[in-house]
Amino acid sequence: MRRRLRVPIVMALGLLVALAAAAAFSGAEVSFRSAERDGARVAEVLIGERPVIVLRTSAAGYTPLERAEIVANRLRTAMASEIQVDDVKVGSVPSGQGLYIRDQLVVAVYQTEAEAHGATPAALAGLWRDNILLALGHEVPEESAPPAAETAPQEGAEEGPEEGAEAAPPTAQEVPEGGAAEEAAAAAEMEAEPEEVDWTGTAQKWVPIFSLEREGARVGMAQVAGPTDQIDQVKGVYQLRLDFKSIGRVYAYVPVSTISTKLNRVQGVSVWALADIKVLGF
Amino acid sequence: MTAKRMIALVAAVALLGLGLAAVNGWAISLGDVLKVGGVALLVSQYDDQIDSFITSALGEREAAAKGATKVVPILSLGGGGYVGAAQVVGSPENVSRVKAVVQVEGRFGSGRAQLLVPTTIDKAAGTPDRAKGVGVSAVIEFQI
Repeated sequence: MRRRLRVPIVMALGLLVALAAAAAFSGAEVSFRSAERDGARVAEVLIGERPVIVLRTSAAGYTPLERAEIVANRLRTAMASEIQVDDVKVGSVPSGQGLYIRDQLVVAVYQTEAEAHGATPAALAGLWRDNILLALGHEVPEESAPPAAETAPQEGAEEGPEEGAEAAPPTAQEVPEGGAAEEAAAAAEMEAEPEEVDWTGTAQKWVPIFSLEREGARVGMAQVAGPTDQIDQVKGVYQLRLDFKSIGRVYAYVPVSTISTKLNRVQGVSVWALADIKVLGF
Repeated sequence: MTAKRMIALVAAVALLGLGLAAVNGWAISLGDVLKVGGVALLVSQYDDQIDSFITSALGEREAAAKGATKVVPILSLGGGGYVGAAQVVGSPENVSRVKAVVQVEGRFGSGRAQLLVPTTIDKAAGTPDRAKGVGVSAVIEFQI
């Protein structure tokens, strides 16, 4: 009897460890919010509970909050794989400095933004780089580490130490050019007209849905509907949990054609019904 | 005499209220009233922001829906109140007609089942009129 139970117990423990590890890795969530500092309305980008970037000015036709949203999305993408200290660097962009993770521009720092913080673009970009590294649990090189007060939420990125940012900024050759254009292109992308997709089909199908949340793991089924050709491609539904500011929890449902880490969305298909059961509580 | 009249009036109003609640099958509490009002307010205040937040978050994962989207309140069938919000997706002309998503939810032990019906009406009265060519792409729970 005991030997019979051993296998399922070991499997359950293994699953528990894997799920706990997954939950731990997803712990540092990126979010953004509007906040007030020194009597002015600013937008903050946070990793976990820590504000790492504070935006005070508009750029490329976007408000600070809209810029924070773009920056947060870029950080989320960059954090999909582990970030090393050397991955986060400061480089030149036309009319300013850029903060890069690997070769991807995270945020461009222009003169107006830097002036609003009472710093130079290089100093501010360097401070934000250090804030990101600290929020990710990395050691910041001593000569470029910001004093503790400057990383506190109320102090934030207001007084970037110039010597810190100048410690090791890569040259313009080390990072791609055209950061500002890239940011403007990304912003324009958000406003791009959607392609025409047939959403009028009513073929239906039940597919598995899997979600992993902090409260536990749930498995279940989702009923998807759409044109027959698209429905045939659907293999499952991924549920993504996103936090909207501190007031809402968003559960996004993505019908996918493959069960993999990449979301291959099947267009023209939407969710009509959901049924799930909690299989594991944390 | 005046005091007696006052007591009678209060009792009559209370009975009338209880009677109405019983007829409509409502379980009224101050918390419910505040929550329903709060959700309606949040949806009207943040619908565009939530819509663009979801779209851009999915866009970063190359999983955004290529269609029109809109955030509308979720009405709980039977409860008659707003319980959250949903992002609906579909063709632009159909999405523009959607006023709410009617939710029918059932719970069984640790399991739950949800039917989500985009409708062109904003009251959970009678049979929901399903908006054709529109589906739900995200559900938003407010922390009230």
